[in-house]
Amino acid sequence: MNILRGWSRHKYIYLMLLPVIVYYVVFLYLPMYGLQIAFKDFSPAKGVWGSPWVGFDHFVSFYDSYYFWRLIRNTVLISFYELIFGFPAPILLALLLNEIRVRIFRNVVQSITYLPHFISIVVVSGMMIDFLSSDGMINQLTGLLGLPSVSFLISPEWFRTIYVSSGIWQGVGWGSIIFLAAISGIDPSLYEAAKSDGAGRFRQIWHITLPGILPTIMIMLILRFGTLMAGGSMEKILLLYNSTTYETADVISTFVYRRGLLQMDYGFSAAIGLFNNVMNFLLLVAANRFSRKINNTSLW
Amino acid sequence: MKYGYQKTAAVLAALTAMTVALSACAGGNGNNSSAAPSPQQSGASETPADGKIVSSPLALTDYVQSGTLASGMKSFNDMAAYQETEKITGIHIDFRHPTVGQEKNQFNLLMSSGQYPDIIEWGWNDYPGGGVGAMNAGIIIPLNDYIDKYAPNLSKLLTDNPDIRKEISTDDGRIYAFPFLRSDPYLRTYQGLAIRQDWLDTLGLQVPTTIDEWHTVLQAFKTKDPNQNGKADEIPLLIAKDTLLNFSNVFLNAWGTTGRFNLQDGKVVFGPIQPAYKEFLQTMHDWYAEGLIDRDYAATDGKQKDAKWTGDVLGASELAVGGGIGKYTTAMAAKNPKFNLAGVPYPTLNKGDKPVLGQREPIFNSTGAAITKDNKHVIETVKWLDFKYGEVGHMLFNFGIEGKSYEMKDGYPTYTDEVMKNPDGLAFAAAIGKYAVPFGGPFVQDKRYQEQNASLPQQKAALNTWMAADNDGLLPPLTFTNEESARLAAIMTDVNTYRDEMFDKFVMGAEPLDNFDKFVKTIQGMGIQEALDIEQAAYDRYLKR
Repeated sequence: MNILRGWSRHKYIYLMLLPVIVYYVVFLYLPMYGLQIAFKDFSPAKGVWGSPWVGFDHFVSFYDSYYFWRLIRNTVLISFYELIFGFPAPILLALLLNEIRVRIFRNVVQSITYLPHFISIVVVSGMMIDFLSSDGMINQLTGLLGLPSVSFLISPEWFRTIYVSSGIWQGVGWGSIIFLAAISGIDPSLYEAAKSDGAGRFRQIWHITLPGILPTIMIMLILRFGTLMAGGSMEKILLLYNSTTYETADVISTFVYRRGLLQMDYGFSAAIGLFNNVMNFLLLVAANRFSRKINNTSLW
Repeated sequence: MKYGYQKTAAVLAALTAMTVALSACAGGNGNNSSAAPSPQQSGASETPADGKIVSSPLALTDYVQSGTLASGMKSFNDMAAYQETEKITGIHIDFRHPTVGQEKNQFNLLMSSGQYPDIIEWGWNDYPGGGVGAMNAGIIIPLNDYIDKYAPNLSKLLTDNPDIRKEISTDDGRIYAFPFLRSDPYLRTYQGLAIRQDWLDTLGLQVPTTIDEWHTVLQAFKTKDPNQNGKADEIPLLIAKDTLLNFSNVFLNAWGTTGRFNLQDGKVVFGPIQPAYKEFLQTMHDWYAEGLIDRDYAATDGKQKDAKWTGDVLGASELAVGGGIGKYTTAMAAKNPKFNLAGVPYPTLNKGDKPVLGQREPIFNSTGAAITKDNKHVIETVKWLDFKYGEVGHMLFNFGIEGKSYEMKDGYPTYTDEVMKNPDGLAFAAAIGKYAVPFGGPFVQDKRYQEQNASLPQQKAALNTWMAADNDGLLPPLTFTNEESARLAAIMTDVNTYRDEMFDKFVMGAEPLDNFDKFVKTIQGMGIQEALDIEQAAYDRYLKR
C-alpha cells in the first residue's frame, strides 16, 4: 500500500526518472549482448550471433603481442600522473578561491579558470600543436631566454607532461566547482569558533575546511580509481600522438581504435576492451573497500 | 494552479517525445544481418526498344566516395555525366556519400551493419582480405557470369587485354568489381621528388640525380640562402615517412628496396630488414643530423606542408603532380613570380644508372564498383555499370558534356575554358567535377584527361621524369585467403608500427644505427617469416593465374 501511494504521489518524479532508465537500458545494457564477439571470430557478414566461437584466442594473442607490456605501462602511467598531479589541483584551487574575500575578483578568477572546460578537445589539441611546434609560441618564448628549441610533439619524453599539464589547465576550474560546493556546506560557526580560539587562516583550512570536504574528496578519488586503466581521454591522445611518440603515448584505447575501427578487427578489440573494463571494475571495488576501511566513506 | 498544470504538461510532453525517440533508435539498431537473400534474377533481361536498360523506372542505391564531389554538389546526381547517364539508361541512382574525412570509419561501419546498398564503389583493399575477403564473406558477389552475359563493353576490353583480366581477377579467376582502370602508364605515376628549380638556378646547381648530388644540393640550400632574404630560414628537405615507406619509395629506391614487401630476383622480400635499408637509414640520419631534413618532419601534416612550401622556405619534398606541383605553382604565381618547381628523377647511387624503383600504381588498385548480396536487380546493375566502359560512357565520365565541358578539336577532346580557366576561379578538379569525375570510378581513365589536368610544362616534365624507372621490383596486387589475410594483418600491424617508430628513432638519432641488427631480430621475432611465406605463396599463385 505504502509503495503504491508513494508511486501515485510522486508519479511525475518517477516519470522524470524514466528517460534515464531507458537511456541506460537502451544504450548501456542492451548493447552488452555484443560483448560475446570478444570470444568469437567476428565477421560482419555472419553477424554477432552467427560468427564462430574462438574462446580466449583474442586475449591470448593480445597478451602475446609485442606491445602488451608497453600498452599496460603507458595506460597506467598516464592515469597515474593524471591522478597525482591532476587530482589535487582543483582542490587547491577551491581552497584558494574560498579564501578570496573580494567578490568580483573571485568571480572573475572562477570564470576564467573554468572557461577552458568548454573548448572542444579538438580545438584544444589544435592550439597545442600550434603552440608546441618547433617554431611555435612556447619555443619562441623559451628562445628569448636563450634555451634551445624543442620539438615537443615528436619527443616521447615530453608527451605525458604535455598531456597531463594541458589537462589540468583545461579541467581545474570545472573540477573545483564540486569542492567549492562542499566547502560552502560547512557550518560557518565552526570558523567563528576556531577564530575565537586564535586559529589563523592555515589552521582553519587544515582543521575545518579540509576535514569538512574529505568525504567529497574520497568519493571523487574512488571514482578516479575506476578510470585508472582507461588511460586518459582517448580522443585527446589520438589528436596529439604520432608514431614517434607511441612509446609513451600509445595506450590501450588508442591501440583498440587502430586495430578495431581502422582494421576492422572487431573481435580482438572487443576482447581488449572487455579486459580493460574488468580491470577498471576490480580497481574500483578495491579502492572502495580500502576507503571504507580507512575512513568509512564509500560508494556503496 | 493553472500555471503549474501547464508546466507539468509541457514536461510530460517533452519526456514522452524523448522516450519515443529513444525507443525508435533502439528499433533501428535491432535489425541484424540474418538470412542472406540470394540475388534474384528479376526483371526482363531483354532490352526495351528505346535503348534504355529498363522499361519502367528503376532506382538503385550506390555507396560512393565523396572526396570527388565538387563544392556545392549534394550528390553525384548533380553531375552532368550522371544526369545524362540516367537519361540514356533510365535507371535512377540514389547516391550515398560518406562524410568527408570519415570515409574509412563509415565504410567499416557500413560493412558491419549487415545491410548493404545495391552498389558499393570503393578501394576494396580497405576491407580485411581485400575484395576477395568481402566476396568470401558473402557481402559482394562474383561478377564473372554477369560480365560475360550482360556487360559487352567490359567483356570486350577483357578479351582484348588478357593482362588486365589477370590484374582484376582473383587467384581462382573470380572478378569482384567493375574496376577503375589506369591502363596507360602515363596515368599510373603521379608522385615523386620535386625541387625548387629557381633556387638551383640562383646557386648555379644542376638537378641532383644521385644521393651524393642530393647531399651537395641540400647543403647549399641550407647555407647559401637561396631565397635571398638574408636569413638562414631555409628547410632544405621535407620527408614524409608514411608515403615514403608505404607508397612512393623516394630515396629508399636508390638502394633498390622499399619500406614494405617487394621483389628481389623473383623472390618476395621485406624491405626494412634488408642490409640496404640500414644504409638508407644511415644516410637519412646523417642528413637529419646536419639539419638538411626538416626537424619537425614527423609531425608535419598537409596544412603545415602547404605553409612551408608557400612560405618560400622549403627546398624539396615529395609531391604529387596535381595536388603538389600544380597547386603550389598556381598559389605562388602572384606571390613570387620566380617560384619554379621541377620534378627530380628518382635518385640512384651511381651517376647515370636508371632508377630501379619509383612510384607506380597498379593498373587496378582495388578501386571499383562491387554489387552486394542485397541487390535485387543484378542484371540491370551490371548493364548500368557496363555503360561507362562503352564509347559514350567513356567520353561522358572522362570529359563530361560535349559543347559544355569539352570540344572535339582535330579528334582530341579538349576541355573548354569553363573547365580549364573557370570564370568563378575554381580549380580544374572542382570545375570538371560539375560535369564528370575522371578519377576513382568504375571506368577506364583516359590519358588525355591527365595530359590536360597536368598541363603546366613543369607538371608534364615531372611526370615524364618520374615515369623513367624500371619498377620491376614492385609487387603486383595479390589476393589472399581468409586465414592468410588474418595472419598477415595480425603480424603486420605490429611490424609496421615498430617499423614506423624505429624509422624516426634511427633518423633522429634516439637509437644508434648499431642497433639495426636488434631491429631486424625484433621484426623476425614478430613473425615476419610467416608473413613472407604468405606473400610468396600469393605471388606464386599470381604468376600461375
